[in-house]
Amino acid sequence: MLQLIVAGLTVGSGYALVALGLHIILRATRVMNFAQGEFTVIGGLIALTLMQTFHATSLLALIGATLCGFVLGLAFERFVLRPAGRAGEMGVTIATVGTVFVLLYGHALVPDWGSLPQPLPAFTGSVSDAFVVGGVTIQIQSLWIFVLLLVALAALYAFFECTYYGKAIRAAANNPLGARLVGIDVTAARAVSVGLAIALAAYGGTILGPITLVGGAGGVAIAIKGFVGAIVGGLDSPVGCVVGGLLVGIVEKLLQSLLGASSADPAVYSLLLLMLLVRPQGLFGARGALRD
Amino acid sequence: MIDRLRADARILPVIAVIVALCGVLFHGDATFVQAATYAAMWAIAAIGLSLLLGNVNQISLGQAGFFAIGAYAVAYCMDDTSLPFWLGAIVGIALASLVGIALGFIALRFRGHYLAMATLAFGLIVQGLFHQTAALGGASGFTDLPIAKFGPLGLSGSVGYAFAWLAALLVGALSLNLLRGRTGTAFETIRNDELAAEVIGVPTRRYKIVAFAYAGALAGAAGAIYAPLVGVVVPDALGVILSINFLLMVVLGGAGGVSGAIVGAIAIGFLDVAGHQFENWREVAYGLLVIAIVVVAPGGLIGLLRRPRRRAAPARSSAGRALTEPSRPAEPRAVASPAAIPLELRGVTKRFGGLVAVDDVSFALAPGTLTSLIGPNGAGKTTLFNAICGIGRLSAGTIRVGGITVTGWQPHRIATLGVGRTFQNARLFGEMTVLENVVAGAFRIERTGFASDLLGLPAAARARRDAIERGRETLARLGLEHVAGTYAKELAFGDRRRVELARAIAAEPWLLLLDEPAAGLNAQERETLQRDLLALRDRGVTLLLIEHDMRLVMAISERVTVLDFGRTIADGAPGAVRSDPHVVAAYLGTAS
Repeated sequence: MLQLIVAGLTVGSGYALVALGLHIILRATRVMNFAQGEFTVIGGLIALTLMQTFHATSLLALIGATLCGFVLGLAFERFVLRPAGRAGEMGVTIATVGTVFVLLYGHALVPDWGSLPQPLPAFTGSVSDAFVVGGVTIQIQSLWIFVLLLVALAALYAFFECTYYGKAIRAAANNPLGARLVGIDVTAARAVSVGLAIALAAYGGTILGPITLVGGAGGVAIAIKGFVGAIVGGLDSPVGCVVGGLLVGIVEKLLQSLLGASSADPAVYSLLLLMLLVRPQGLFGARGALRD
Repeated sequence: MIDRLRADARILPVIAVIVALCGVLFHGDATFVQAATYAAMWAIAAIGLSLLLGNVNQISLGQAGFFAIGAYAVAYCMDDTSLPFWLGAIVGIALASLVGIALGFIALRFRGHYLAMATLAFGLIVQGLFHQTAALGGASGFTDLPIAKFGPLGLSGSVGYAFAWLAALLVGALSLNLLRGRTGTAFETIRNDELAAEVIGVPTRRYKIVAFAYAGALAGAAGAIYAPLVGVVVPDALGVILSINFLLMVVLGGAGGVSGAIVGAIAIGFLDVAGHQFENWREVAYGLLVIAIVVVAPGGLIGLLRRPRRRAAPARSSAGRALTEPSRPAEPRAVASPAAIPLELRGVTKRFGGLVAVDDVSFALAPGTLTSLIGPNGAGKTTLFNAICGIGRLSAGTIRVGGITVTGWQPHRIATLGVGRTFQNARLFGEMTVLENVVAGAFRIERTGFASDLLGLPAAARARRDAIERGRETLARLGLEHVAGTYAKELAFGDRRRVELARAIAAEPWLLLLDEPAAGLNAQERETLQRDLLALRDRGVTLLLIEHDMRLVMAISERVTVLDFGRTIADGAPGAVRSDPHVVAAYLGTAS
């Protein structure tokens, strides 16, 4: 049981980062980004290339993938979300679904990336390195994941709460017109938000890479599980998104051990429908908060 | 909407002729036959999604789930039990419709991207279930299905082509019938403005479920044809990618109506085959195409084909005419007793959190009278209107319309009793013409159902002609014939209000609630309005008016009720209310 929870928290960290990314984009642009999972996959692959081809260390690869994610996010905002925004909510949603196709099949065309998942080297030692506490085996990489998740959350918190730019972005998301009136560049704030969210996805893909593998066609599943996490925790609450993502990881691992590996996913998706019907605002969300 | 349907009705026969010609010309070309057969199957599913997305403005990323249900039903019948193909098809389509109804119920809770995610999850759940069911072949599904027999004909090659296209064209024709009928009007009003649709009597929830069930049934039908023609049903081929492909076809061809979906399905059917050796590149291109279409041509390919509409000349309204012709008497429908009180409020209270917007308001209207509801801004007048119409829940109190207690009813049920309403900001259906708006206004007295619309039965066609005729009459009574073909969003302000009034009286209501009908009108328009309102009253319609124009209020009201901070502070004849000290204080403040 405890073993499953540790494993669940490990994969759940990835879902938490995806959920948080969805939250940031939704707040800033009112768009649900179906391609968030694909960006996670691409981020892991970028780290793989940096490590394999350019012999970067894990830390450099992580920084590199995150920066590339930020740039990709800016491009995504500029060339997909912003122009499609004129077509209304349904139009942007459809455009992000189109982006799924571009990234899903596009990454398979890149030499060395291919369409099959590949392992990313562990951050230290090998992936199988582990220690045992009270009968529970914990991979060293899982520890890295937890530490790096906390680092990312702390950095985000500091950025949004304590810096001028972070506050400006929040203001722009809360009340675009009001923000514009006090001189905040709302367009830039939106772009940076999307950049941050995609950087977060790439960061998650990299830290999870040694355990969940990188590449392959799993992006849609990652996006939906991240969304399930966001819904479970509350899409309008950043804390809820993180907790929800971790919970979904744990539930997934528990279901896998109960129902078998391949039945777990449909069960997790059923959890989404159930949650949407019973408590759409999530565990941490305010009642009546953004449902549409 | 009329333009799109006309275009559809013209394009559909053209497609039929092309399909027939190509079938004869290329019947020996196996690649063509294969691509075109796939295109026909895709078209059936895409038409369903097109209606859902383009006509009702609901998205589904789970259509592959319905497709899989249809395909599996047929595969199961043909493989395990050797039952005939058509039996499996009927079962599959029926199952898909039922599941569609279930998804429709779920969909009522969501909008926009939430709906997209929920339907995506639905598709994945269905796929996962088929994956796990050993009786249906588990992960390997059904392979090598026998060729389906339809009488002496085996469904493969050119026969399969002909069968698939006959089915697709039939579905196209039926769907077009549906859209031209009362059901299509209901869909279109939901797409334009759900709240206004409810208030004119459209049961929006029911019609959304109908749309999901219909789209599910069509996807199921496509799957039922797919199974015997392709011969292989495996769960991996029936997942998210297929759902996104359906969306791609609809967006590419143009959402809404029939022809766009068919054009999109043909395009993808042939691109799939033509781009066979460019796997991955092809899908990247599809993705880019979707983004490009959303940005550059939201109407899709079919939207590019259609000639831009000639904009109606901004004709001035002939405001001189008033509502004088004695039309048929406005009889209360389905009302408990003919002598009933049209509207009676008892202790009606509405709170928003700590704010009491309407506080213990009670009054009753006498039949055939004109009452004005006045009060300063924020007094709760519009909130009270909303309460009467069934928008939002009452915190306390009861409302009786025509002697029937309607507390807790949905707006469309209240409208169906014979209650009409206009909004402060004139909520017209912008993407519909003025005539269509007025025809939609008579929705509740038109009496055709889904089946007769779908089959285009003579009764449905007659009812439609009557409805349009009635709509024209209503426009004529208000002197609005000259804008009948104009899209509501292109109307001048004064005309918008007048058209909304026309929509509200199209179904001959006997209780009419008008929210600031005179606001923003010029002097001449006000004069016409005044005559219209009195004419309505003289025909026995009971009117309740929110109005700020005191000259109008004092001139036409038999009774004036004054609200302030949600409470009734005065109620009586216009003269008495005008000099009431409370009213003066509310409007001008007091010296103390």
